[in-house]
Amino acid sequence: MNSIMYDTYTIFWRELKRYKKSRSGVLIRLIQPAIWIIVVGNIFSETQPLIQSVGFEGEYIEFMAPGVIILTAIFTSIFGGVNTLWDRRYGFMNKALTSPISRSAIALGKMSAISLIAALQASLIIGIALAIGVTFPNPLMIIPIMGIVILFSLGFSGISVTLAATAKSQETFWGMINLLGMPLFMLSPALFPLELLPNWLAVIAKLNPVTYTVLLVRELMTGVSEGGVPIWISIAVLFGFVLAMVAVTSYVFTREVNKPF
Amino acid sequence: MPKEIELLSSIETKSLTKSFGDLVAVNDVSFSVKKGEIFGFLGPNGAGKSTTMMIFTTLLKPTSGKALIAGFDVMKDPKHVRENIGFVQQETTVDEYLTGRENLLLQSKLNHIPKNEINTRIDEVLELIELSDKQHQAVVTYSGGMRKRLDIAGGLLHHPKVLFLDEPTVGLDIQTRRKIWQYIKKIHTEFEMTIFLTTHYMEEADNLCDRIGIIDGGKIQVIDSPENMKNALGNEIISLVIENSKNHDLFLAELNKIEFIKKINDENLKLILFTSNGTEVIPKIFQISSDLGIKIVTLSLTQPTLDDVFISYTGHEIRDDKSKFNRKIEHAKMKRLRA
Repeated sequence: MNSIMYDTYTIFWRELKRYKKSRSGVLIRLIQPAIWIIVVGNIFSETQPLIQSVGFEGEYIEFMAPGVIILTAIFTSIFGGVNTLWDRRYGFMNKALTSPISRSAIALGKMSAISLIAALQASLIIGIALAIGVTFPNPLMIIPIMGIVILFSLGFSGISVTLAATAKSQETFWGMINLLGMPLFMLSPALFPLELLPNWLAVIAKLNPVTYTVLLVRELMTGVSEGGVPIWISIAVLFGFVLAMVAVTSYVFTREVNKPF
Repeated sequence: MPKEIELLSSIETKSLTKSFGDLVAVNDVSFSVKKGEIFGFLGPNGAGKSTTMMIFTTLLKPTSGKALIAGFDVMKDPKHVRENIGFVQQETTVDEYLTGRENLLLQSKLNHIPKNEINTRIDEVLELIELSDKQHQAVVTYSGGMRKRLDIAGGLLHHPKVLFLDEPTVGLDIQTRRKIWQYIKKIHTEFEMTIFLTTHYMEEADNLCDRIGIIDGGKIQVIDSPENMKNALGNEIISLVIENSKNHDLFLAELNKIEFIKKINDENLKLILFTSNGTEVIPKIFQISSDLGIKIVTLSLTQPTLDDVFISYTGHEIRDDKSKFNRKIEHAKMKRLRA
């Protein structure tokens, strides 16, 4: 067990080193969520009566800011696994596989690095949100919010690493990512209250772990409980999702990398 | 749990076979590599060299047969195999954006080198490959030869019992290649490890290896030291080009009767005679040819090289029709893609 922790940290360290050396990517990846919060946040500002009807007093932009924080986490972590493909193509993977390091540790190290990077990106988006006038009733809430973002991204990066380990080509990987990323975001209360969704959509949304994470962050950020989901259920779903993804990713990754690429 | 018995062979295989569907990449290969030996697998692209190496380094499971590396079974005990091997891949795998030292640090951690030893080990290999002064530069600024050296250094950090080098000098210019050979020899004397390498360069095999296994079409054709292989062909080679004649077969039969000639390769109108006492053989050749009315276009006398050894065992040159054929397929593919 000790050795798995050590190995995970080795890969984590390597991924972060690589991230640090590619700083230009940080800004590029911020553009999309920044557009969401600035443009979409203002386009829909007239929907205020709708969100008020579910008990939310503030402006629309404050309602959707938690959604954009999660959007940043979703996309940073779901793209994060792509270097698994490069590692297999350019030999780093074989180097790791022929060393005594455990296979699961490679996947877990990647996931934890991606999750930290996603949290960094999300914190920058929180900064942008604050700069354009979104307010926090309780600024200390930022600590549990970051905790939630890290946990959520850990689980979500598992999807990415699993897909990258299974996909044999970049094309397949990007195809799968596009198939998953946007719908998971859209089928959540990130932009629109859960109560106002048509029934059949609400049912789908309730099967989506993104939904619970958004509700959780929204509650912490604005103090308004929305969607009729108790907070402990949201927390339980989030933990369940992360544990499941850690298990699935370790298993699939180990199985896939043992096959020739 | 390291074995107490002193092992005599670092690599031991028995009827090792690997097939991918219908294609048999490695076909019933059995051999052993002695402890401390530099052993080379020589063969053209697609001969099964890399597949064999991937089995030895636990990246592929054999279809059947057995392979023991440093006494551990690659199938049953891959973890112990991995602890005892260093593997330097054909393509350079160093992280470009990390510095040389950071790359070695990563490699040390991957190989579970105790924390308090990491720095001395890194200093040791950096000095060996003469990169100490460049260690804090990003690898992206290194030349191809320097990257390769760094990659090789990474395979040495944990003092493996067996070092695997897959085509260590492919794609490097001849001067850099010579330099890498020097480093490999230096490593071998300094660490006293067994080195198993694959190559398709004759010169490399000749220069580095104590013994060579010639592999072609997934099968080992011969294993011996480079000297013995060359000596087995006699110490001289006579190549002659003759004009077409109906007495061609008769000519060959007569040549075969000359006692010094050990072997004749007949490539249509180009004959290669492996022989000794070349100066005595040549007048006899002229005698026979004039008797049979065969015109000799050119004739030359040379010392055998490993190239000749390769041809004599496989019947074709190391970069032969096969690769040309592949190139044709590739070319056709590209054309179709562009259209």
